[in-house]
Parts: sequence; C-alpha cells; structure tokens
Amino acid sequence: MDRFIDAIEMVAAIFVGIVAADIFVSVLLRYFFSLAIPDGYDFGRLLLGILIFWGIAATSYRGTHITVDLVWSAVGPRLQRAIDVFATSVLLFVVTVQTYTLFDKVRDTYEAHVGTFDLNLPNWPFFAVAWAGDVSAVLLIAIRTYRLIFHPESLGRAVVVKPVE
Amino acid sequence: MSPDTVAILGFVALFALMLLRVPVGMAMGLVGVVGYSYLVGGGPALKQVGLTSMRTVTDYNFGVIPMFLLMGAFVSASGVSRELFRAANTVVGHLRGGLGIATVVACGGFAAISGSSVATAATFSSVAYPEMRRYGYPQSFATGVIAAGGTLGAMLPPSTVLAVYGLITQQDIGRLFIAGVLPGILAMAMYVATVALIGVLRPSFLPRGEASGWREMLLGLRDVWAPLVLFIFVIGGLYGGLFTPTEAGGVGAGGAFVLGVLRGRLSRADIRGSLLQATRTAAAVFTVLIGALLFGYFLTVTEVPQKVTLFLTGLGLGRYGVLALIMVMYLALGCLMDAMAMIILTVPIIFPVVTQLGFDPVWFGVIIVMTVELGLIHPPVGMNVFVIKSVVRDVSFATIFLGVLPFVATDILRLVILIAIPEIALYLPSRM
Repeated sequence: MDRFIDAIEMVAAIFVGIVAADIFVSVLLRYFFSLAIPDGYDFGRLLLGILIFWGIAATSYRGTHITVDLVWSAVGPRLQRAIDVFATSVLLFVVTVQTYTLFDKVRDTYEAHVGTFDLNLPNWPFFAVAWAGDVSAVLLIAIRTYRLIFHPESLGRAVVVKPVE
Repeated sequence: MSPDTVAILGFVALFALMLLRVPVGMAMGLVGVVGYSYLVGGGPALKQVGLTSMRTVTDYNFGVIPMFLLMGAFVSASGVSRELFRAANTVVGHLRGGLGIATVVACGGFAAISGSSVATAATFSSVAYPEMRRYGYPQSFATGVIAAGGTLGAMLPPSTVLAVYGLITQQDIGRLFIAGVLPGILAMAMYVATVALIGVLRPSFLPRGEASGWREMLLGLRDVWAPLVLFIFVIGGLYGGLFTPTEAGGVGAGGAFVLGVLRGRLSRADIRGSLLQATRTAAAVFTVLIGALLFGYFLTVTEVPQKVTLFLTGLGLGRYGVLALIMVMYLALGCLMDAMAMIILTVPIIFPVVTQLGFDPVWFGVIIVMTVELGLIHPPVGMNVFVIKSVVRDVSFATIFLGVLPFVATDILRLVILIAIPEIALYLPSRM
C-alpha cells in the first residue's frame, strides 16, 4: 500500500517538474530564439491541474493538509484519535462530493469540444486525468479512515511541521 | 432563516470544524457550499464545486505557487543555508553578537529564496544554533534570533503568503513581491540593530567570534554567488517586466535545478525530494484556495463583507483606528491559527473595508503579512517557536519566547514605521 501511495505522490511530483520545464523552456525560447512552444501556455495550466489533484490525493492520505491543531495538541491520545477519525470522515465526504461534481465538468468539456489555443487538442483528456487524481484521493482517504479506526498504529504520526507559510 | 442568521451559523460551524482539525480548505468549502445551497439552491451550489475546483487548478496565474515552492526546494536541497551562514559569519562573525547578525543575514538570504518562514526557522535551528551555543550564546537569544529571522521569509520575495494574498484580492503578484523588498530589508536591518543593541547592553551575553581574513571572506562569497545571482535575475526580471510571476517562478525553478546539477549539489534523491516537497505544499495551499473561493460565494450571497464594512466604518474610529482594530484582530487570531489560514479566511471579508477606507491594496498586503508573521513568534502558539523546539529539544518554550521578545518589540516598531511611511512599501512598485 505504501508503495502505491508513493507512486501516486511521484506522479504528481513528476508533473511539477514537467510544468517547470515547460515554463523554463518557453521563456528561454521566447527570449533567445523568438520561438514559442505550441500550446505551451495551455499545457502548463492543464498539467498544473493534474499535479494538484494527484498531489491532493497524497496530501490527504499523509494528513499534511493545513489544519488548526490547537485543540488536537491539547488533548490526550484517545481524543486525538477521535478528532482524527471525525476530521478524516468529513474530508472523505467533501472530496467524494467534489469528485462527483468534477465528473460533470469533465463530461461538459468533452461534449463542448473545448480545445487548446494553438493545436486545438481536446482539453477533456487532461481534465479526465486530473479527475482520476481526485478519484484516487477518495480511495486513499477511505483507506486512511479505515486504518484510523481499526489499525491506527499503521499510520504512524502525522507530519507535525507544515512548511507552508 | 435570514441570510444574517445563516452567515452567523456558517461562521460558528466553520470554526467548530477547524477546531476539530478538519482541513481548513475543506471546512471552508463545506460550509460555503452548504450555506450557498440553503440560500440559493443545491443544484447551483454543487455546480460551483466542480467549476471552481477545475478553474482554480488550471489557472496559469496560480502556477506561481508550485513554481516558487520548487525553486525554494531545489535551492534548499543544494545546501545553500550552511553556505550563506558561513559567508555572513566571515564578514560579521568577529563583532559582538556577530553570530546573531550572521544568522539574521543568512536567514534573510535563505528566506528570500525559499519563501517559507517555517522552513527557514527549521533549517537554521540545525545550522546556526549549534554554532551560537559553541560560542556561549544563551539559549534564549540563540533560539529567539532564529525564530525572528525565520519570519523574513514572508516578506522578502518570493513570498508564498503574499502570492496567496494577491490571488485572493486579484492584485498584481509581481507588484506585491517587489513591495516586500524594502520592508524586508528594513526588517533585516532592524533585527541586526536589535542584536547589536543587546550586545551593547549585555556585553557578556553575546561574545565575539573569530575574525576571518580576506581569503576566507572571498571563499565564503564564492560559495553563495550562484543562488544570489539566480535570485537577482528572477526578481530583477519580475521588476523589469521580463517575466510574469508564474514565469519568474518557472525560470527560478529551472535555474535552481540547472545550477544545482552543474555545481554537483543536487543528487537524484535531492531532486526527487524537492519535487515531492513542492507538490505536497502546493496541494495543501490549493486545497485552501479552492475552499476559500467556495466560501467566497457564500459570503457574497450573505453580503457579509458589505455588512462588516458598514459596521467598521460606522464606528467613528477613523481610518487608522479601524486599521488598528483589524491588526489587533489578526494578532489575536495568530494565537489560534497559522498565517496562511488567517489570510485566506479573513482577507475576503476585511479587504473591502480596507479599500473603502482608501488604503492602498498592495501596501495593505505588506502590512497584513507582516502582522500575521508576528503570529509565528508571539505566544502562545508561535509556529516558528514550535518548529525550533522540535529541532532543538533541550530548550523550553518559555526560554524561546523570552528570547523572541526583543524581536517582537522590533516588529511592532517596524509596523508603526510602515504605517507612518507607506512609501517604504510602495516606492519600488510605483517604478515598475
């Protein structure tokens, strides 16, 4: 299971690298050769969508979302576990609803034949891959919820430091 | 129920969910959608979830966040923190409190590149703290100066918190980054002055380090030239209009990668770790952004921002009185939540008040980020303090907070200066 989650996280991480490379090369080509990657802008933003949804899947499983830990850090282990189960259940509900509504968006994009600016490539496959990331998120959060309830020792301690701000 | 009652219940539910550790973004999204469903209808509310989620994650402008996070991760993995500290130490280490000054300068340099206050505090807890202790600096000062130095990350460009403020308020992120330059330099200068003052008042407190020769200074500078050039190129390009903020981030990330590989500082494991770190943090930030946008629709239909604006401007406190009230609120909230959560939760409500009062939105961004950063070091929460404690285990929270106090006083004085002289923040953006 851990290797599967690592693989999901790596998929998102690879897309971060691809987006950075896309932007870096686009800027170099523009300034040094007056050239542009066809659909470089659209590829950048569509890949961004993929990396974020796959990243959310891994982040949800690892429990590294931005949270307010004031109450959690002040109570004992039993209450901490109860809070974690509640929070993860809410997370599961919200992401499930999001996944359901996102499918509509993918279908609408497919039916509207929305394409990229230069090459007129269809957008919907990119949206579908991003949506698959959200589906993975639902599965991983369901696994996390199950483990929190029945095998809390298998999750270890959540990462405490969240270097966001 | 009236929209006002729904709004109040919504905020109560939001705080309850957040205190029960539901991720901030998910709590905002859930409350926003449920409230919007009640007032407008379930169908439109659900439609907004899919639309807003996909629109946010595929917005090119929002790419600025993962790109600068990746740049920071590559530079950090290249070991620049130790080199910056060593270089600064060769120049000022022989002065009284020199190691403290070197810590402030190196924190500023590292924070400027990494964009993260917490990461800066964590890094320098292992880089600078042992060195300061070796020279007999007290625990309180050594941890206090690192906690304070870490806060420079939110002010000096590229700052993740300022970028998020820009995305929420639809301000030009490039102008916001540039607006943070002079206040960030002012912050560094005032921290250095604080260390020097402590050295004068308590000479036995901060012993002098060893003096370095010219050769050592040049060697120190040789180690840090590459990240400094990259930083100047990226921020200079932004200032000069060569790149958009997202492009600047992409160029910075690409440049940091190329420099790290060419100088032999980035192994495959480092590259993998940097990509993962940027992904995790970006995903966490985007979750909150999506939640904030969904919550924003709820705020719009309940007209909360307009009502808060009417209430605050009707208090008769004058514009600076209202500003003071807002800042006190942020300092109080700093006891409950971290900077990013505070900004995303409150700015959509407070921002209309600020613009109504005639304050410059870019200037307010700098002021508010500076205020919430105070929350990273002031008791009882102080995220940077917790981070330092997690690295330096033999020090108590009380000792760290004691060491931070002089720097908190400096921060408050700096805020007063920036409110009195807004040009410090606005001069550079006005020249863009």
